[in-house]
Amino acid sequence: MVPENISVVKVQNILMVTVPSDPDDETITALQERVLRAMERHQVKGLVLDISTVETLDSFFARTITETAQMVSLMGGLTVIAGMRPSVAITATQFGLTLGNALTALDADLALDMIRDKVARQGK
Amino acid sequence: MTEKHKGRVRVDTEVDIVVVRKAVRDTAVALGFGVTDVTRIVTAASELARNIIQYAGSGEMKWSRLNENNKVGIEVVFEDSGPGIAHIDLAMTIGYTSGGGMGMGLPGAKRLMDEFEISSEIGKGTKVLLRKWLRKGSL
Repeated sequence: MVPENISVVKVQNILMVTVPSDPDDETITALQERVLRAMERHQVKGLVLDISTVETLDSFFARTITETAQMVSLMGGLTVIAGMRPSVAITATQFGLTLGNALTALDADLALDMIRDKVARQGK
Repeated sequence: MTEKHKGRVRVDTEVDIVVVRKAVRDTAVALGFGVTDVTRIVTAASELARNIIQYAGSGEMKWSRLNENNKVGIEVVFEDSGPGIAHIDLAMTIGYTSGGGMGMGLPGAKRLMDEFEISSEIGKGTKVLLRKWLRKGSL
């Protein structure tokens, strides 16, 4: 799979990443690298990872999300995983995967709201 | 085109993990497993394929459709000629911890499936067998 399948968009200092449906390791690693590069260049207040089309969340993906969320957190930002499918949530829980610092939201809109609320409360 | 009843996939690099996932997903869906069960089976298979790459370097996955006493199911076997697991009992108690990435996900894979068998010999290799049966009305 070509890593360019990931879409990374910056919306007012919030990074919106849309993850493709069955990302391989290379794609997941590329995703983290693009997020980190964006964080180096801009003041990123939050990261939204839209996984609404993701059908399998394996340990490598979970580890990478956890790591990325930790990095964002260290820089004062918030990571929100958006749109996790019920089948994925059930399986991940039963398997024993966790997502560290990352929060979750039912969809990307709510995820954006969560980050904006936090930024507003902190005061610019 | 006749439906395949079994197949095998070489597991040599990370790229093969996706091949394993696809083969298992296609079979599970064709057998009629519900969305969540398909996700369970694919996730367990993905982790075991990953174990082969991480601990043995290379190995093989063999899948087959099961048909016993009017029950249908899927069987997925992972086999390698790697170093083997020194303490299977211990390996079966170490799951994934938050961000830790420790363990081989064996207890997790066992929880996701109906049947789980593992055998390993130091210096010879490891074999893990997974089975899941189709239940009427299950997700």
